[in-house]
Amino acid sequence: MWTKVFSGFGYWDVYSWIIFFFIASGLVLWIRSMGRSDYKKGTEQDEIFYGANAVPEDGSEIQVPASSAYWGFVEALKGYYEKLAEMHSGLTNDYVGYMVVVAAVLVVLVLL
Amino acid sequence: MSWHVHLPALVIAVPLLGAFIAPVASMLGKVARNFWLVGVSALTALLSVLLWQQVLTSGTAIYVMGAEAFNLSLPSGMSLPIRIILEVDAFSAFMAVVGSIAAFAGALFSTNYMERFSGLDKFAALYFLLTTGMLGMVLTGDLFNFFVFLEIASVASFGLVAFWRDRPEAIEASFKYMVVSTIGAMMILIAIAFLYGRYNAVSMAAVANALRLGYAEKIALVFLIIALAMKCGTVPMHMWTPDAYTEAPAGVTCLLIAVSQASLYGLFRVCFSIYGASLGSAVVPWTIIILGVLSMFIGVSMAVVQKEIKRLMAYHSVSQIGYMLLGLGVGLLALSDPQAMADYGFTAMKGGIYHLINYTMYKGLLFLTAGALYYAAGSRNLNDLGGLARTMPYTTFMFVIAAAAIAGLPPFNGFVSKLLIYESTFAVYPILSIMALVTSVLTLASFVKVFQTAFLGPAKAKLAQVKEVPPGMLLGMSVLTIVIIGLTLFPTWSLSNLVEPAAKALVNQAGYISAVIGGGL
Repeated sequence: MWTKVFSGFGYWDVYSWIIFFFIASGLVLWIRSMGRSDYKKGTEQDEIFYGANAVPEDGSEIQVPASSAYWGFVEALKGYYEKLAEMHSGLTNDYVGYMVVVAAVLVVLVLL
Repeated sequence: MSWHVHLPALVIAVPLLGAFIAPVASMLGKVARNFWLVGVSALTALLSVLLWQQVLTSGTAIYVMGAEAFNLSLPSGMSLPIRIILEVDAFSAFMAVVGSIAAFAGALFSTNYMERFSGLDKFAALYFLLTTGMLGMVLTGDLFNFFVFLEIASVASFGLVAFWRDRPEAIEASFKYMVVSTIGAMMILIAIAFLYGRYNAVSMAAVANALRLGYAEKIALVFLIIALAMKCGTVPMHMWTPDAYTEAPAGVTCLLIAVSQASLYGLFRVCFSIYGASLGSAVVPWTIIILGVLSMFIGVSMAVVQKEIKRLMAYHSVSQIGYMLLGLGVGLLALSDPQAMADYGFTAMKGGIYHLINYTMYKGLLFLTAGALYYAAGSRNLNDLGGLARTMPYTTFMFVIAAAAIAGLPPFNGFVSKLLIYESTFAVYPILSIMALVTSVLTLASFVKVFQTAFLGPAKAKLAQVKEVPPGMLLGMSVLTIVIIGLTLFPTWSLSNLVEPAAKALVNQAGYISAVIGGGL
């Protein structure tokens, strides 16, 4: 129950990882404890840094909406995503068509 | 004679009885209905665990319906098994345990989640029928019986996907699933007819024993592979999954995940136990590997851009199926080469099967957390959510565990199964591992997006009244969380007791055949 998982190429040992996690956590907490605790509450030292702009009062304005997340990634792969969107047409005929086409291709490959 | 010998039949009979009694129990009130829903699901899970224990200690269990003796698979004077036979090896028992745990968690979650709606007597009956179909698929040793259980599961799932019938989207999703699924079912039926016509038998073991690869067998194999791959949501036949998983109530989606795994089970039972080494060429294994890679990459690509939480998770289901197809496809590729099987094939199979249980648990949990968000905040659109970690701390905690597990972050269980798949598939072609790794990175990216938009950030004014979900829903999610943590902390035990026996049973075609027909025909 407590031994390593061997993959044939290496191994995984969850308990070594957990020990490492606690050591790393201890180090992080120690580094944090070295920080200054004498900052002045209620001054600008205590305020959110929002790219040198005023922090919006309405919280929902601060958040990046899910539909905008990874915009650059999607923009860079625009051609790929257009093809994918075309493929996911929502039409039942297309759903069945894909299944029939894949079956036909595989029948040919297997029978050859 | 111990009652344990009847376990294979009981695992199917108990939820079937649950389905028929559910409307009667519902007449006694809400408490009786919920008690029945949870109690029968718990009993089914318990029986599945007992069956798994029995199979591990005593070997493959055979149960013959309607025979003079329950274990009389080949009546005297007959050369073929003629009755409905349940054949439960370690792989079948493993699948029954996985599926029944998911069904129990979904039932527990649904007690509170569904309380706002009417028609719950029908809901409970359909839920048990879906459970029965799933368990029947993984326990039967008979091809036609497999088809019947597949249809029981399909018809129940059409009703459950369209359960919120006031939503046009739900009706549309159910209709699409019904059309695609019915064509798949016809393909399975035609394939069974081909095999029955050739061998005069529908017992999987008898067909496997007599099988000689000809045109009919090849066409039957293709039909079975395509139909079952569609049922488990493989690209490019996955289109029904985002619609169906999104529109079904969350507890049902959790069970649908297990049902999709029963189809995957069917696919590998056909490839390994019925066709086995007689598959001959590498066309079928490579087809499964390529479909797996396509599923991984296209599924995760689509998931990254979704803003509807259940739809995002549904596309991840497609992606995760790819990992299992990849692992087991590599195992199939190495099946006729003992050296390749020893070097990487068996490790790939272990990875695939371990991923199967991991996926069912964390994906079930993710769908339940999505349901909890919908229940509490009234929206599944991530643009409308935000800052819910403050008001829903338990749901957030369980979401983080499931998201870390699906993304393959160490030390979670998803990491272990993915590690086995990465390393073994690397030995076949490094590009396969690279595709799997890229998929994992994109999986992490999309769940970071969900976590950031739904749980972090400032609290939104319109979500000020949101509070943590009721105890029944938390308990349902907790069941799967506990299993995930167990699989994470005890990977060696899980591999030795759950995964390896299942993988060995799958590659042991001779053992599967001889359990039913002894020395052969």
